[in-house]
Amino acid sequence: MRRLRVLWARVLGQVSQGREDAALDEEIHEHIALLTERYRGQGMSAQDAARAARRQFGNVTLLKERQRGQRGMLLVGELWRDVCFGMRMLAKKPGLHAAMVLTLALGIGANTTVFSIVDAVLLRPLPYAHPEQLMEVRSRQMAGAMPDGAVCYPDFFDWRAQSQSFEELVSYHGESLTLTGVERPQHLDGEVVSWNLLPLAGVKPEQGLGFRPEDEEAGSRVVMISHMLWVSQFGSDPRIVGRRIQLSGEAYRIVGVMPTTFRFPVDAPQNTFWTTLAVDNDGTPKANTANRGNHELAVIGRLKPGVASAQADAEMKAIAGRLAQKYPDTNTENNSAHVLSELTALLGDTRTLLMVILGAVGLVLLIACGNVGNLLLVRSRERTREMAMRSALGANRSRLVRQLLVESLMLSALGGLAGCALAFAATPVVLRLIGDSVPRVADAGVNLPVLAFALAVSLASGFVFGLVPAITSAQGDLLSPLKNGGRGETDGRRGLGSVVIVGQVALGIVLTAGAALLATSYAHLARSDEGFKTDHLLTFMFETPDSRYSSTRPEFYRQYFEKLRALPGVKAAAGSVILPMTDNSVHISFENPEHPLPKGQLESARMDLVSPEYFRAMDIPLLAGRDFSDADTENSPQVMIVSRGFAEKFFHGKNVIGKKLKPGAGNDGPPVWREIVGVVGDVRHGAMSQDLDPVYYLTAGQFSKWCCMYSVVRTGLEPLSLEPDVRRLVASMDGNIPVTDVRTMRDRIGFQLAQPRFAMVLLSAFAGLALVLTLVGLYGVMAYSVAARKREIGVRLALGAPRQMVFRMVLHQAAMLVAVGMGLGIAAALASGSILQAYLYGTGARNPIVLAGVCGLVAATGLMAAYLPARRAMQVDPALALRCE
Amino acid sequence: MGDRKSEVLQGTLDLMVLKTLYALGPLHGFGIARRIEQVSDGVLDLNEGTVYTALLRLQQQGWITSKWGTSENNRRARFYSITRQGTKQLERETENWGRVAGVMERVLKLERQT
Repeated sequence: MRRLRVLWARVLGQVSQGREDAALDEEIHEHIALLTERYRGQGMSAQDAARAARRQFGNVTLLKERQRGQRGMLLVGELWRDVCFGMRMLAKKPGLHAAMVLTLALGIGANTTVFSIVDAVLLRPLPYAHPEQLMEVRSRQMAGAMPDGAVCYPDFFDWRAQSQSFEELVSYHGESLTLTGVERPQHLDGEVVSWNLLPLAGVKPEQGLGFRPEDEEAGSRVVMISHMLWVSQFGSDPRIVGRRIQLSGEAYRIVGVMPTTFRFPVDAPQNTFWTTLAVDNDGTPKANTANRGNHELAVIGRLKPGVASAQADAEMKAIAGRLAQKYPDTNTENNSAHVLSELTALLGDTRTLLMVILGAVGLVLLIACGNVGNLLLVRSRERTREMAMRSALGANRSRLVRQLLVESLMLSALGGLAGCALAFAATPVVLRLIGDSVPRVADAGVNLPVLAFALAVSLASGFVFGLVPAITSAQGDLLSPLKNGGRGETDGRRGLGSVVIVGQVALGIVLTAGAALLATSYAHLARSDEGFKTDHLLTFMFETPDSRYSSTRPEFYRQYFEKLRALPGVKAAAGSVILPMTDNSVHISFENPEHPLPKGQLESARMDLVSPEYFRAMDIPLLAGRDFSDADTENSPQVMIVSRGFAEKFFHGKNVIGKKLKPGAGNDGPPVWREIVGVVGDVRHGAMSQDLDPVYYLTAGQFSKWCCMYSVVRTGLEPLSLEPDVRRLVASMDGNIPVTDVRTMRDRIGFQLAQPRFAMVLLSAFAGLALVLTLVGLYGVMAYSVAARKREIGVRLALGAPRQMVFRMVLHQAAMLVAVGMGLGIAAALASGSILQAYLYGTGARNPIVLAGVCGLVAATGLMAAYLPARRAMQVDPALALRCE
Repeated sequence: MGDRKSEVLQGTLDLMVLKTLYALGPLHGFGIARRIEQVSDGVLDLNEGTVYTALLRLQQQGWITSKWGTSENNRRARFYSITRQGTKQLERETENWGRVAGVMERVLKLERQT
C-alpha cells in the first residue's frame, strides 16, 4: 500500500517536474540566503559568508539532480538531457559521426536483409496445423551410399496400411494438365495426391468438402482448385462445386476450392489444382499404382500425438525391410526408409547455406562495431579533458558511463534506422538474386519480427562498441588530463585499438576466404563443359494428351518438327523428354547379355527419349554410327543410342555399335531387345553435377505412349524472338494445347546456378564490405597512432633518425597488426572451411592457392591503408612537433 | 568547532526531521536545519541540502505535507507539517529506534572474555 502511494507520488512528480524544480530552486536560494545572513551577523565579510553558507549547504547541483531522480520515475528527464547533450556532441563532429552511422547502417542493414530471408525460410512454421508433427518419409537403401529416393505406389500403400506411427500418410507428385473448354486453354501445374491430403494438412476448403476415400478408385476424376484459379478462370462462380471441367481431354468434377493461403507442397506456390492418385490408375495390372519399379512419389505423414520421429523412423525402416524380403526383384535397392521433419526435408542443404550467410553477415556487423568502437576510442581520447572536468564538477562515474552509453546507443539507433531503410531497399534486390532457388523465399519481407530483430541488433551493437570506450574513459586518473591539458596518451587505449584491428583482419580473412572459395567453385561450374552448345537455343513444351494422341503421337511430332524447321530463323529443331542441365533425370535399368545379373540388381543408367535430329539441334557430336531417323518406327527394328561415357562404363570403350541391350522401358508391352546404332558425346544433366553421367537414348518414334517432349530450337536469332511464331504454329495444329515454359537454355542453366550464384554474390559482397571496413579501421588506428606519437617521432627525427626509418617504423607497426590478424584468420579459415564443403565444386574447402591469394590481397591493401599515415609520420616537422607539446 | 563530527546515519535524518516537525509544528527547511543543528550541538556533520531530500521522501510517503506561506521575517517559504499518519509512523520509528539503541548499547558493553 505504502509502495503504491510512493509510486503514485512519483507519477504525479514526473508530471510536475518543472514546477517542482522551480519551487526547489526557490527553497534552496532562500536557505542559502538565510545562512549567509547569519554568517554576516557573526561578522564575516560578504564573500566569506557566502562561501561558508554554500559549504554548509552542500553540492547544490547534485541535490537538484537527486531530488529530480527521487521525485519522478525512470529518470526520464535526465535521460532526455543526456540525449540532448548527445545530439549536440554528434552534431559537433558531423563527418566523423556520419561515418560511424553509415558503417553501422551497412552492418545492420545487411543483417536485417539476411534475417528477413532467414525468417521467411527457416523460422516461419509450415502453413499447416501442428506443423511440428509433419514428417517426410523417403525410401532408402540400407547399405548403399545412394541418397534417399522416391517411393513407388505399392510401397506407399503398404506403408499406409502397416504403419502405426502416423495418423495420415499422403503421397504426392507434380503433374501438369491442360485446362480446356475455357476462353483460352491454359497449362496448369498441380499435384497428384492420395485422398487424405486435407486431413493431413488440417486445412478445410473454402468451398466444397474435398476428397473422399473412394476418390482414389480407378476411373474417379475429381479435383480441388486454388482460389486464384477459381477467380481467374471461373469468374468466382459461387456454384463451382460439382461443376465438371476439362483437363487434358478428360472431365474432372470439382470437389473443393482451397483458401488463398493454401499451398501444397510448400515449395510449389504455382500449383493450382490437386487431384487424387486415381489418375495414375487405369485399372489394369500395368497401372502406375501397381508398379513397384516406378519410383516417383514423395510421401508426407502426420505423426500420431506423442510419437517421436525416431520411433516412426524405426517403424518405417522395419516395414521397408519386410517389403524388401517379400519383393526381392523390385525392393532390394529400397530396403530401408528414412523419416525426417518436413521442414528439414523441404530446406535440405539450404538451411546450412542460409546459416553460413547469416554468420557471415554477423561477422560483418562485428567488424563494423569494431570500427565504430575504435573511432569512439579516439574520440574518448579527445574527450578526456571533458570527462575530467565533468567529474571534477561532481558527476559520478556511473553518470559519465551512462552519458557515453547514451551517445553510443544514439549512434546505433541512428545506424539501425538507416540500416532498416537500407534493408527495405536491399531485400527486393537480394530476393531477385535468389529467385526460386530457395523454397519459401518469396514470402520474405521487412516485417515486424524483422524490425524487432534490427532493433535488437542495433541495441546490442551499441552496447558492444559503446561499453568499452565508456568504461575506459570513465576510468583512471581524472586529474592528470586536466593538468597537462589532455595531451597525455594512455597506452591501454591504443592497445585496445590494436586488438580490435587484429580481430577485424582475422574475421576479414575468414570471410574473404569463404567468398573466394565459393567464387572459385562457381567459376568452375560456369566454365565446365556442358557437352552441347547452350547459346541460341530455345526450349518450350506442350502436352499431347493421351485422350487424343495415344496412337498418333509419332506422326503428330513428325509433322510438327517438319513445320518447326521450316520457320524462318530456325536452323534445327527436335524434341527430348528430359532436357540436360535441368537436374531432371530418369534412371531405368537394362539387361546386358555380356554381363548378366539377377533381376533385382540390374545395371541402370540415365535414359532419355528424343526425336530424330536432337543431337544436331543440341550440337552434341555424333561419334559413331547414325542418328535416329523418321524411319525408326514402332514396326521397324528397335534401336537405341548411347553416350561415350555409357560405352566406356558398360563396354569398356570397345565398339558398341550392333550390341544389344534390353532397357526396362516398354511402349505398350513388355521391354524388348534394342540394337545400339550410334554413340554420341556426353552431356551434363545438371549444372551442379561434376561428372558427365552415362546416358542412353531411345527414340520417341518407337514410344507412342510416352508424353511429352520438350522442343529444342537452334536458331541464329535471339531465341525468344521465335516465341510468337512457335505459339502460332502449335495453335494451328491443335488449338487446345497451349505452349508453356518457353525459356532459353541459358536461362534454364542460370536458374540452376541461382543458388551457388547468390551464395557467392552475397558472401563476396559481405567479404568486400568486411575488407573495406577493416582497411578503414586500420587506416584510422594508424593515423591516430601517428598523431599520438607525433612528439616521439619529432624527438627521433631531432636526434637524427633518418626519415626512411620513421616511415618503416609505422609500416612495420601496421604490418605486425595485419600479420597477427592474418595468422589467426588463416587458422580460423582452415578450421571453418569444412562448413562450406557441401557447396564447393572443383575445389576443396582448404584450397591453399585461394588462401594465399586472399592473404596477398589483405596484405597489399593493408599496407596501402598504412601508407598515408606512414608518409605523414615521415613528414613530421620535429621543430613544430616539439614546440606544440 | 571540533574536528570529530559524526556522519548522519542512513535513515536517521528522516526520523530527526519527523520528530522536529512533531515537536515544533510547521517549519520551513531552514528552520528544520537550525533545530537539528541546535540539538546536535555541532556534533553532526550535515549537508543541509540533504534535509530537502528527506523532506521529499517523507512527503512521498504521505507522512508530511507542505504549504507555501510567509516566514517570520516576511519572506515566502514552504512550510512542512506532520500528518496523522506521520505521527503514527513517528511512534513506530521511535519505538524501533529505542530497541535498536538498546541492543547496540548492550553489544558495545560486552567485555572481552579470555
